[in-house]
Amino acid sequence: MSAQAAPSGVLTIRFLDVGQGDAVLITSPEGKSVLYDGGRSEARLQGLLTQYQVKSLDLVVASHADSDHITGLVPAVQTFKPKYFLNNGLAGTTQIWQKLVTTAKLAGTQGLRAKNQVINLGSVKLTVIPPPPGMKDQNTNSVGLLVQYGSFRALMTGDSETPETRAWLKQLPASTLGPIDVYKSIHHGAKNGDNAAWLAAVRPANVVIGVGPNNYGHPTAEAITLYKKAGAAIYRTDLNGTVTVTVQPGGTYTLSAAKGTGTAATRTQAPPSVTPPAAPSVVYANCAAVRAAGKAPLLRGQPGYSPKLDRDGDGRACE
Amino acid sequence: MADQPGPPAHATVTVDALEGPVVRVELPDGTTQDWARLDLPRDVQEGDVLHVRVEDGERHVRIDRAETRRRTQRAQAELTELNAGSPDGELDL
Repeated sequence: MSAQAAPSGVLTIRFLDVGQGDAVLITSPEGKSVLYDGGRSEARLQGLLTQYQVKSLDLVVASHADSDHITGLVPAVQTFKPKYFLNNGLAGTTQIWQKLVTTAKLAGTQGLRAKNQVINLGSVKLTVIPPPPGMKDQNTNSVGLLVQYGSFRALMTGDSETPETRAWLKQLPASTLGPIDVYKSIHHGAKNGDNAAWLAAVRPANVVIGVGPNNYGHPTAEAITLYKKAGAAIYRTDLNGTVTVTVQPGGTYTLSAAKGTGTAATRTQAPPSVTPPAAPSVVYANCAAVRAAGKAPLLRGQPGYSPKLDRDGDGRACE
Repeated sequence: MADQPGPPAHATVTVDALEGPVVRVELPDGTTQDWARLDLPRDVQEGDVLHVRVEDGERHVRIDRAETRRRTQRAQAELTELNAGSPDGELDL
């Protein structure tokens, strides 16, 4: 496995391929990281943290207490002892929830009940979107997170459902929401998650669905249709593997997938996506040749860069 | 359910989540399994502690409301304690 640490100087957001579940790793240009959800497997998340050479985590977020979102947070907290654990304040009754809280306590991690709060991850602004009052269950108490860096905006809202998004639409200023450059599909593309009214406010340019083999019919045809109607490009971790967003200072960004490509956007004004490099004047047969030429790592856009040499598609070949 | 082994003959399980016609339960060993909602009491909810026994090929499921309440209260108290003293205002990491 080649080195795949998040490059410094840019914001990196990885929608990790954790199978059926969500896990989003956000690394600031200064190297500070947040893990928003951890997927359903401790071993799988641990492997991904190793693969992406995560050196520290300052914050972990449980959008809500469901096992396909929190299980991987356990090794993340054990390993990195983050300063904060952001949660919705609504305890689960499962063993895995108990394990997560106990692990956080042992790690000296401070619990943060979601409220209207800004968290600065280095130069990246994270705005916590707490669940509205009066919600009835874990899904509708999902914690949202808005990520801003320059003009770039990403949004993730766990497994929220229509009662929660409807309440958010009433209380949030329109500018808090769209347009969103990269948006995490609600609830893996379930039927009761994303809805037309919410997406009309979010206006996502790119949607990433965290999904794997499942018995729930995720992602549903209804959700896919909604995303297409919104004119968004669609990425799925089951088809595309881990999806990486790289954001330059100022906010221009690229998306790349570990495998395949997303479904193209249908909007007339296409969202930024991976720019195919101009025909290279230099061609390297493999990374050994790149290293021999003293050019490693090769960045996307540099002479000789090729997606073939960039197995994780993060814009840095032969790391 | 597809790709799901049969449930244990006698077990206490916890409802992790309701996924439409499917209920995801956490087994005693910490793994999860998807069960058909139709096979469970109609008023089953997330967080419920269920006692399951299989007799003569039939599965009997009972919601243990007292244990569910106990666990919920204990877990809530622990989380409230963990969240106590969390800072207000803008945070810098």
